[in-house]
Amino acid sequence: MAKPPLPLEQLREQFGPHLNYIPEGGWTEESRHAPDRLVKTHCCFCGQQCGIQLKVRENRVIGFEPWEEFPFNRGMLCPKGVKRYLQANHPDRLMNPLLRTAAGFTPATWDDALDLTVRRLREIQERYGKDAVAVFGGASLTTEKAYLMGKFARVALGTRHIDYNGRLCMVSAGTAYKLAFDVDRSLIPWSEIPKAEVLFVAGANVGECAPITTDYIWRCRDNGGKLIVADPRMTPISRNADLFLPVRPGTDLALLNSMLYVVLRDNLQDDKFIAGHTSGFEAVKASVERYDPRTAAEMTGVPPDAIEKAAHWFAKADRAIAMHARGLEHHSKGVENCSALINLTLATGHIGREGCGCTMITGQGNGQGGREHGQKCDQLPGQRSLLDPKAREHVAKVWGILPDDLPQPGYTAQEIMNAIHAGEIKALFSACFNPLVSLPNADFTREALEKLEFFCVTDFFLSETARFADVVLAGSLQEEEEGVTCSAEGRVIHIQRAVDPPGNARRDSDIVCEVARRLGKEKFFTYRSSREIFDELREASRGGHADYYGITYEKIDLQKGVFWPCPSLDHPGTPNLIEDGVSFFPDGKCRFQVAEWRESGDPVDADFPIYLTTGRVVSQYLSGTQTRRIGGLVDIYPEPRVEMHPKLAAQYGIADKDWVTVTSRRSEITLRASVVRTIRPDTVFIPYHWADEKSVNRLTHRTLDPRSKIPEFKVSACRIHKGAQP
Amino acid sequence: MFGYEFYVDPSRCIGCQSCVKACEECETHRGHSMINFDFIDRSETIGTAAFVCWHCDDPTCAQVCPADAIKKGEDGIVQSALKPRCIACSNCVYACPFGIPKIIPEYEQMMKCDMCYDRTSVGKRPMCATVCPSQALSYVRPEDIVRRREKPTNVFYFGNQRVTTQVYMMTPPGADSVTADITEFMWEKADA
Amino acid sequence: MREHEPLWREEFSIFKANERYVSRRQLAKFLTLGSAAMFAGNLWILARSWLRKAPHYARRAVARAGEIPVGGVKLFQYPNPGEQCIMVRTAEDTYVAYSQKCTHLSCAVYYSREHDRLECPCHQGYFSILDGSVLQGPPTRPLPKVVLERQGDQLIAVKMEPEV
Repeated sequence: MAKPPLPLEQLREQFGPHLNYIPEGGWTEESRHAPDRLVKTHCCFCGQQCGIQLKVRENRVIGFEPWEEFPFNRGMLCPKGVKRYLQANHPDRLMNPLLRTAAGFTPATWDDALDLTVRRLREIQERYGKDAVAVFGGASLTTEKAYLMGKFARVALGTRHIDYNGRLCMVSAGTAYKLAFDVDRSLIPWSEIPKAEVLFVAGANVGECAPITTDYIWRCRDNGGKLIVADPRMTPISRNADLFLPVRPGTDLALLNSMLYVVLRDNLQDDKFIAGHTSGFEAVKASVERYDPRTAAEMTGVPPDAIEKAAHWFAKADRAIAMHARGLEHHSKGVENCSALINLTLATGHIGREGCGCTMITGQGNGQGGREHGQKCDQLPGQRSLLDPKAREHVAKVWGILPDDLPQPGYTAQEIMNAIHAGEIKALFSACFNPLVSLPNADFTREALEKLEFFCVTDFFLSETARFADVVLAGSLQEEEEGVTCSAEGRVIHIQRAVDPPGNARRDSDIVCEVARRLGKEKFFTYRSSREIFDELREASRGGHADYYGITYEKIDLQKGVFWPCPSLDHPGTPNLIEDGVSFFPDGKCRFQVAEWRESGDPVDADFPIYLTTGRVVSQYLSGTQTRRIGGLVDIYPEPRVEMHPKLAAQYGIADKDWVTVTSRRSEITLRASVVRTIRPDTVFIPYHWADEKSVNRLTHRTLDPRSKIPEFKVSACRIHKGAQP
Repeated sequence: MFGYEFYVDPSRCIGCQSCVKACEECETHRGHSMINFDFIDRSETIGTAAFVCWHCDDPTCAQVCPADAIKKGEDGIVQSALKPRCIACSNCVYACPFGIPKIIPEYEQMMKCDMCYDRTSVGKRPMCATVCPSQALSYVRPEDIVRRREKPTNVFYFGNQRVTTQVYMMTPPGADSVTADITEFMWEKADA
Repeated sequence: MREHEPLWREEFSIFKANERYVSRRQLAKFLTLGSAAMFAGNLWILARSWLRKAPHYARRAVARAGEIPVGGVKLFQYPNPGEQCIMVRTAEDTYVAYSQKCTHLSCAVYYSREHDRLECPCHQGYFSILDGSVLQGPPTRPLPKVVLERQGDQLIAVKMEPEV
């Protein structure tokens, strides 16, 4: 419980982040001793899940080699994938479980660490009730582990509070797609992208967050395709945008609704498709009537003729694809934003045909797989609802429990943190999540963590959040455990075990199963391998929309991935999800959703007149626990900068590289400025991968989308002034 | 590799520096990246460009080397300076019109892109072109490159010097060569 | 690559294909093999001389007694044609004969009546008329002697000493 056991500087000295630049044995080691083998696997970072080969010698990962035969990325990699192997043999790697003592974190035996964990969890549940313990999972866990976390929370702990860091990523898109199609997955495989005549990329920094997708977009343009980009900043892909829409933060909805307005006004909609394959059109038609281009221009800052052009290009093309990412989704109206884009795609009939579709670009490594099999507070395996009686019956049977033993839905990630802060939740069991860096309003998160009576973290480095733990269990890197993940395009792929965990570290699934056994739930967690977990997952997901029953490790290896649903062993998988415009609803119709405008949760005003938006850089991944420890990646972009336009900088007398203090309604930070013309003059941008005094999430706010519960990272209000070096 | 050519298209570059990081993983010069990567002018644009050695047909660097240390092999690859001969005089650094050679002070030697000789000599593609996520650097067959809108050229004019290279630059259709002569842009034309 | 290349560009070509470049390794190999060949050659010569059978000399009449006066000289070829020898009648009944090839550099030696010795005109190498040993000059080896036998009127050459 409470604050970290030692001052920050001491913890940093002991546990990092330290920079690893050089492979073990030095740069020339490999010339003298070749690797034993090359393991064909996938990158541990983002949702592109690029194929990569790891060089292994004597149970150590020593380098990488491109895997050109894997069809998605064909050997291509971003710098994170190139340098990922430097996580192996890292000085900060946790080799033993740690227990908090007065002298700091001291190594302990597994028995001591696990016994303490189990004892405290039991005590807290007995004293405060089952729901006083919450479980955090993550979207970098393999699907087997994500499934395991869901089962662990509900069967071993009996708590209803299980959620994950994907709540900060894909849930807006997930909710919107479920409302429209009753399924939450990219509608198309990436191979469709080069076939489009028009690509509309809204709120997606493809070049930095999904670099491999860039080649797909450039090939679309080689084939004569046109690229429309909507973003408050000019990101790398905008250099080849045929039309760039500099949308004001928080106003995407007005832009999208206005595009639909133009389509309907100029009679460019696909009446046949609307009549034959959709429902709910009339309500949406009425709802966009006030979004004429002039009004939208005032709201969004995008010129009216640009809006008209975008609408015309998208509607008139025979084949068009809309792609979106967190820029559209990290809003308190994130669901509405996605719905508006889906509405546009439905109205123009660009669903269910070649070169057509609508897709979210999943950001986290297993963001797709991690949101399918029960790691969410309201979800059961197979992407089924925890409230669905049939689903409860099926899963309970597979798990060997009674349906009534399954809890009801619990809190989402931010809500769990809110409940911890309020004293409702007393203990947290967490893996693969660094909420102190990735949740908004970091000071609030810190206060909450300090209030926990018991906190157990499983991780491979001591993250900023883990500094608050009572027990730190030394877990495994992605290359140390076999499993599957699901990539951004919906392709289920095989993660190979290349090496064993070093020192006394253990595989994550072994750890979770061991805790479950010590809680007395041995008979539900008898797995001896990842394969056994996967086989149970296949059973549990059978019949759901995310049907994995027909997927096996061998099939994945043979086909280089299998797209779900794959209901039987002889089924090849389903790359195109909405074939011929037939949705997953019982009536097969796609549903228009009304997307009404409302102000964001932290509006600008006279005191806080500037928009603050947050995002990423290509060299860092999520909370930076891994990538801030790799020297070559930190060199590319060492410190977070406040990106602002020269016009804005001039107002405050700020020059490039000056120190700037950015203040929001919650906190303030001081960083160096980056004065560039490639961002709207009413907006500043700060990447979020850093922690403590460099963490922009200290400024962001905890407003959630009411349906998806995603925090509104992409629009806050702030003020700036020239500062001094902190 | 037979039948494959190297194409550089700066307009596709997204500035991820994957090439820079992957280059230093290549066996011939592990630990040192040989990519020349630039932010063109970050305050004005997000444009970036990454370049490799152009492996000129008549390499200026080799011509000016006083120690006869730079050699061009039969496959057309201009190698880094030979270790016993290079005296790190930087003549090649100044002479190369593209600005490619680098002096590594701790080795007292010039090193530069050698088209991943440890890979291309055994039928693998160069590391940078393999990993580049936007294929701004690509190593493909000529019949694959014709699908692009841009056209390859390998003729460069630097003032009076005409340089032809093994590596191609992708240029807008209609441009046969790349010119870097200030007089092209002047109002008054200089005498030829 | 360019026309009218100066010689130094040709000699120190930047194109590997045009290099006439001997590496240290190549030179070392060449020297080693050369030396080895020489050594083998020498061994062969040595072996040849050890394994050589004794030469067979034919007996041949080379002169008649009284054919030359005392102090006179007769040249003949023994044991094979082309191998010149010189015979000298040093006294009434004494005849000596030697190979005429000076053991220094193979010039033809002549008999000096004045000094009663065999002399080589090339470098003043003098040999004793009694046994062919070197009296002075650069020769280091004595003149090979032709062993003569008197058979009635005939002078028969029997063999050479030392054997040649």
